Amino acid sequence: MTQLLLFNVFNGLIIGAFYALMALGLSLILNLSGVINFAHGGFLAIGGYLAYTLMPYLGFWGALLLAPILTGFIGILVEGVLIRRLYGRDPLYSLLLTFGLAFMIEDGTRFIWGAQSLPFQIPDWLNTPLSSEFFFLTGYRVFMVVLAAVVVLGLFLILNFTRLGIRIRAGTLDLETVSVLGVNVRVLRNLNFGLGIYLAGLAGVLAVGMLGLQPTVGDSLIMPSFIAIIVGGLGSLPGTLAGGLLIGLASGITSVYFPSASEAVIYVMMAAVLIVRPRGLLGEEGRF
Amino acid sequence: MLKLDKRAGDVLVWLLLLTAPFWMTHVGSYVELGSRVLVYALAAMALNFLLGYTGVLSFGHAAYFGLAAYGTALTIKLLYPSTPVGMLVGILVGTVAAAVIGPMIARLRGIYFAMCTIAFGQVFYFIAFQWFSLTHGDDGVSAWHRVPIDLGVASLDILNDSKSFYYFVLAVFAASVGLMAFLLRSPFGRTLLAIRENERRARFLGIPVDRHIWMSWVISCFFVSVAGTLYALLNDFVDPRAVRWDQSGMFVIMAVLGGMRSFWGPLIGAAIFIVFEDYLSSHTENWESFIGLFFVIIVLFFPRGVLGIIRRKAMT
Amino acid sequence: MSLLRVENVSKNFGSLAAVSNVSMMVEPGELRAVIGPNGAGKTTFFNLITGFFQPSAGRIIFNNEDITALLPARRVWRGIARTFQITEVFPELSVHENLRIPVEVASGFRLQPWLSREADAKVRERVDELLKMGGLADKAARLVGELAHGDQRSTEIMMSIALNPRLLLLDEPTAGMGEQETFEIIQLIRRLHKDSKLTIVLIEHDMRVVFHLADRIMVLDQGKFLAEGTPQEIAANEAVQTAYLGKAA
Repeated sequence: MTQLLLFNVFNGLIIGAFYALMALGLSLILNLSGVINFAHGGFLAIGGYLAYTLMPYLGFWGALLLAPILTGFIGILVEGVLIRRLYGRDPLYSLLLTFGLAFMIEDGTRFIWGAQSLPFQIPDWLNTPLSSEFFFLTGYRVFMVVLAAVVVLGLFLILNFTRLGIRIRAGTLDLETVSVLGVNVRVLRNLNFGLGIYLAGLAGVLAVGMLGLQPTVGDSLIMPSFIAIIVGGLGSLPGTLAGGLLIGLASGITSVYFPSASEAVIYVMMAAVLIVRPRGLLGEEGRF
Repeated sequence: MLKLDKRAGDVLVWLLLLTAPFWMTHVGSYVELGSRVLVYALAAMALNFLLGYTGVLSFGHAAYFGLAAYGTALTIKLLYPSTPVGMLVGILVGTVAAAVIGPMIARLRGIYFAMCTIAFGQVFYFIAFQWFSLTHGDDGVSAWHRVPIDLGVASLDILNDSKSFYYFVLAVFAASVGLMAFLLRSPFGRTLLAIRENERRARFLGIPVDRHIWMSWVISCFFVSVAGTLYALLNDFVDPRAVRWDQSGMFVIMAVLGGMRSFWGPLIGAAIFIVFEDYLSSHTENWESFIGLFFVIIVLFFPRGVLGIIRRKAMT
Repeated sequence: MSLLRVENVSKNFGSLAAVSNVSMMVEPGELRAVIGPNGAGKTTFFNLITGFFQPSAGRIIFNNEDITALLPARRVWRGIARTFQITEVFPELSVHENLRIPVEVASGFRLQPWLSREADAKVRERVDELLKMGGLADKAARLVGELAHGDQRSTEIMMSIALNPRLLLLDEPTAGMGEQETFEIIQLIRRLHKDSKLTIVLIEHDMRVVFHLADRIMVLDQGKFLAEGTPQEIAANEAVQTAYLGKAA
């Protein structure tokens, strides 16, 4: 029983790490620019597909390194050409725009790579269990958690110790003041968006190893990312991180006792948070 | 001058709707498409009650639309094969669900509110998918059909006669939008406009904003539930797609496309969208990309919608 | 018996003491002005009275009822109306509609799905009355967002009057206005005060407005009470003059 519990807790942690990765990217974009990026799942898929395309030439590690960066660049392009025009307007419009983008990306990936599930090869040595007792600790899964942790740490470092990061944080609090202080808000928003999309792309490369590669791979992750943000608190990145891990863990633990409710539990958590503490666990008051 | 135009516009709309089965076939279309337009128009207008008139964005209206559809389908299939009863149950289910969820989100605003409507929409999608024994998941609720209505003096064969069905849908549509217009013109309706225009001022005039938003939400979801029951009857089939987030998005784009700040805007938006989608899906496999592109173009270049453009031209 | 008693209210935002231990008693029918240099905490003081936020300390007693814990909407129902520094109206509705809404709310109609012909007539009558009072009759059909600044402010004031308040709070009613508009607003406020015997408290920077209208003046400086008295007393008060760095009326 403990084995099963441990297995599911660990699994839950991995899923939670994914939710967190996705949600962090979403959160970055939402906090600074007020845009709900419906197309986030699409960018995740793009990350996976780019990695698949690059792998024959660069191998797994090269693809892992380059695909997210390329995805981030696509994000920067999309922001500059499309999303930027909608900042002054009602958030309704950017939501519709990213919604439309989501359609286009999904159909686009289907057009380019086909609707079938594609085989995604992760290096063999990563796939072997690290211990015969804890069989679920495959190298790949541990690797994902470690990488996610590294990336989150990197994000934390960027946000707290680089000029860009500090400006993003300041901009999230008060964009007007930041622009008055001479920061180029356009560039800031653009890079912030790119960073968020980079995270989506990275989550994509990691996810497809586990979930398989098809055009709809992002769909199952985007809704939990939303919920991670709601539970963790709007406007708070640590909150989003906590939210993602929490719902992943809750999901994992629930699957031990009530397997069919494992997905439902995250919706219950969302409802509970909205009733008891609408701003979320670590959310700021007045953000909504 | 504007008043005359408005009356004339109303008359024109009703004239077109009443005679649709006759002129539609002449332009190479078919009556079922007209019924479809009406169903979606009602849904989009229901959404617009909340969006255009109260200023609150919901991206999860499909939840109640689909819930009502399931309610109708399952009632007719499993409980009692009667169209009115099926519709009543469907409307009840959708409205009650909205009334229960409303208080959880009525305190929220802006994108946060929208996010939560999306998330709740997903809850129902999940339920529709997973509760296989009831909803048959992805397979949907089939093997049932709309039941001809026996009015005592006459029988409305809405099952086999597409014209009859169209007029049935039109009657429900008319009653619904009539009620909507009535509410919007009332003192209550004006408090919603106040909230849309300036929430702070509304609050400082003594209007309990959260409560009124909840009421507008419930009313809006009531009408979208009505549309949902018609949707079930239209297709003789319901599947989780009715509840999905892309369905919600379509309602919104229809309202925006036609013009959010006008009563008939969503009807026009629905007509254009449905016709467009119908044409696309029969001509290309990649119709989803085009729909997506359509969304993008509308948002970037026609945010005020068709009626918004016309209104602007009229003023200059 | 005072209509409004503000007793030792304070409001802290973190370590910033926006309002410290300020008291004020306003008699029915009075026109009180609250003045003070920038940052004196005047708007915060108003926000406390109208319930925009809760005081960190102190009580607010209106019409012999402790309203300290009441939400803004409830204070409106008790009879406190206010205008804002930046005019808050319904920009895409007509002046008529802007006034109609508070009239309907004040008549208890806010949840009505329809109005009888008599009720409708009564509402229209009242709206016409307010339009005339505010000098807005010729602009009734125009969208408020398109009006001149002064007319928007007049609309906002009349919207507040539509609520039949016992106390009207005006936050810098002449802010950003030219000579002519300022004059018209002063006339409007004086008319409202005299004709409706309304109790008014206003925040103002323009000293001419203050000295033209006020029965009594209260001076705040850096969140603290500085002085209170008749216009003559305040004009002669040295501490007040110092606070304004020598800028007297």
